[in-house]
Amino acid sequence: MVTTAVQVGSLSLKNPVLAASGTFGFGREMAQYQDLSRLGGICSKGLTLRPRAGNPPPRVAETSCGMLNSVGLQNPGLDVFLRDELPFMRQQGCAVIVNVAGHSTDEYCEMCRRLDQTPVDAIELNLSCPNVREGCMLIGSDARQIESLIRQVKQETRKPVWAKLTPNVTSIGDMALAAQRGGADAIVLINTLLGLAIDYRTRRPILGNNTGGLSGPAIKPVALRMVAEVSQMVDLPLIGVGGIMNGQDAIEFLIAGASAIEIGTASLIRPTACTDILEEMTALAQADGVTDLAEYRGTLRLWGY
Amino acid sequence: MTCDHPIEHLVTVRSSRRLNSQTTVLTLEAPLIAATAAPGQFVNLSCDHFLRRPIGIMAVLRHEGLVELGIRVVGDGTRELAQKRPGDQLSVLGPLGHGFRLEGLQRVITVGGGSGVFPLFFVQQVCRERGIDALAVCGYRSIDESILRDEYAGLGCQTLFAADAGDLDVAGHAADALKQLLCQLPPVPQTAVLTCGPRPMMQAVAALARDYQLPCQVSLEERMACGIGVCLVCACQVREADGATGYQRCCVDGPVFDAEVVVW
Ligand SMILES: Cc1cc2nc3c(=O)[nH]c(=O)nc-3n(C[C@H](O)[C@H](O)[C@H](O)COP(=O)(O)OP(=O)(O)OC[C@H]3O[C@@H](n4cnc5c(N)ncnc54)[C@H](O)[C@@H]3O)c2cc1C
Ligand SMILES: Cc1cc2nc3c(=O)[nH]c(=O)nc-3n(C[C@H](O)[C@H](O)[C@H](O)COP(=O)(O)O)c2cc1C
Ligand code: FES
Repeated sequence: MVTTAVQVGSLSLKNPVLAASGTFGFGREMAQYQDLSRLGGICSKGLTLRPRAGNPPPRVAETSCGMLNSVGLQNPGLDVFLRDELPFMRQQGCAVIVNVAGHSTDEYCEMCRRLDQTPVDAIELNLSCPNVREGCMLIGSDARQIESLIRQVKQETRKPVWAKLTPNVTSIGDMALAAQRGGADAIVLINTLLGLAIDYRTRRPILGNNTGGLSGPAIKPVALRMVAEVSQMVDLPLIGVGGIMNGQDAIEFLIAGASAIEIGTASLIRPTACTDILEEMTALAQADGVTDLAEYRGTLRLWGY
Repeated sequence: MTCDHPIEHLVTVRSSRRLNSQTTVLTLEAPLIAATAAPGQFVNLSCDHFLRRPIGIMAVLRHEGLVELGIRVVGDGTRELAQKRPGDQLSVLGPLGHGFRLEGLQRVITVGGGSGVFPLFFVQQVCRERGIDALAVCGYRSIDESILRDEYAGLGCQTLFAADAGDLDVAGHAADALKQLLCQLPPVPQTAVLTCGPRPMMQAVAALARDYQLPCQVSLEERMACGIGVCLVCACQVREADGATGYQRCCVDGPVFDAEVVVW
């Protein structure tokens, strides 16, 4: 038997596998195909205060070892989520993390204030969506804004606040330190990398929004590097995301310093990816003689020079 | 709570039949899909590329547990699928999506263009099983590019084949052939037009159906990733009940929509 339970700050998870935001809906479709109570938790699709229609299609372009998406935070808005989706998510027997995005500090604050009164386990601040013009990645690319946003949001809620950062910055360490100063409870690394796909025949971008966010195995090395780098700089728990396709990938993130991991694009290829990856992790641990998945955390042995 | 309902199937290719230089029919040993698939539904197939490829179900042989797919080669993924050989294995998600609604219909007219004739063949197959009167209009560029003509004729439905090149029953598009058919056809209550093919063709077919006050269902295509409704990349613009336009998911809200709600 391998112990799988992990702590992310004050939040106890039965295992380190979370479904990432935007690739699991609100769990409804996925519940048809797997027992969601086996997961550590589910991050909701990114929510905004008011409903958002999202970007014009096409919204996906295939790339080598990954994909670009330009969904643009299509979501029913916080009210409809609280009424129609949260009760369902809550019943699934795993942690519920709500991913929120705002145009402004006020919007983030209002959403966190409303969520404080609900049975969600944590709030994941999306400071990193590359597909919307206002807020979000703009705030998440500026250390001062990250710090001040998190500080204000923390006044509105007692829920754990996770800062999900964008890799589209010069220094991820500076952003992570800012999140720590602002009072974040955990840091989630990484969201998608901004990219472009071109149809050479028409000389047009494939995506209706021109650019999109790159995800999948193509970004795993970037995500691993950022987790390893940030783990040396901050004292907060880290959650690793980016290109995790199997149990070995997941364990690499734990070794780099993550306390938990999120599975995104893999769920789009294999609907049961989250539960499969958890099984693979425990099987690998067993084969390695590791009795507790938490033992892997932060055990990266850098070469000295 | 356990809810393990198999969605991913590892299936073996039973046979592959080349129809012409661009199109191939693949027969898969997929009993669970064959048992539950409805016309208009699709499967999402693994290939050597990162994303799966969505392909409509062309026919099922329920007793043998076989599923037939008609594949038109347009790029690397479809080329690779068309080159699969008997014994090859692939991972398939399905059956997926909301298909055509045949309940309560007494007569069905299918109008297919290009590779749209594949999924409509399944409609014809089911109409025959259920004793629904069915007519098929199929449009091609030319007789050389025409596909499934013998198969449609073999189902015993009334057929009308159109070719832009003028070398089949009707010279022109599938919508031209539909118009000819509707002019001559005695009205039968509970008739519907079901269409699949290039978007301009479906738009013309939907407009004609409207002129003749016939309900019309269209099968839309959009680039997909998951095929199961979780990623929202397959957005199609539709008119909602309140008259406003919004996006719905092609993969689970469709791919078949009432023509009335589609924003062309
Ligand atoms: C619901 C549905 C049913 C379909 N049924 C059939 C069928 O029965 N027979 C058939 O031959 N084709 C069908 N298609 C179209 C088929 O999915 C595309 O031709 C195929 O994905 C192209 O892949 P490729 O690698 O050859 O082309 P590429 O252009 O190299 O593909 C690049 C990317 O674009 C996507 N893409 C390209 N064209 C389309 C398209 N027209 N629709 C959706 N995604 C596309 C691919 O999936 C891939 O992700 C269907 C599509 C949908 C959405
Ligand atoms: C289709 C799609 C939609 C996404 N939507 C969101 C979102 O709403 N909020 C968010 O914080 N991240 C979103 N993401 C980013 C993922 O949660 C994840 O951070 C990223 O894809 C990297 O992980 P992966 O390579 O495992 O997919 C989305 C990703 C994809 C592919
Ligand atoms: S393809 Fe993912 S929601 Fe339709």
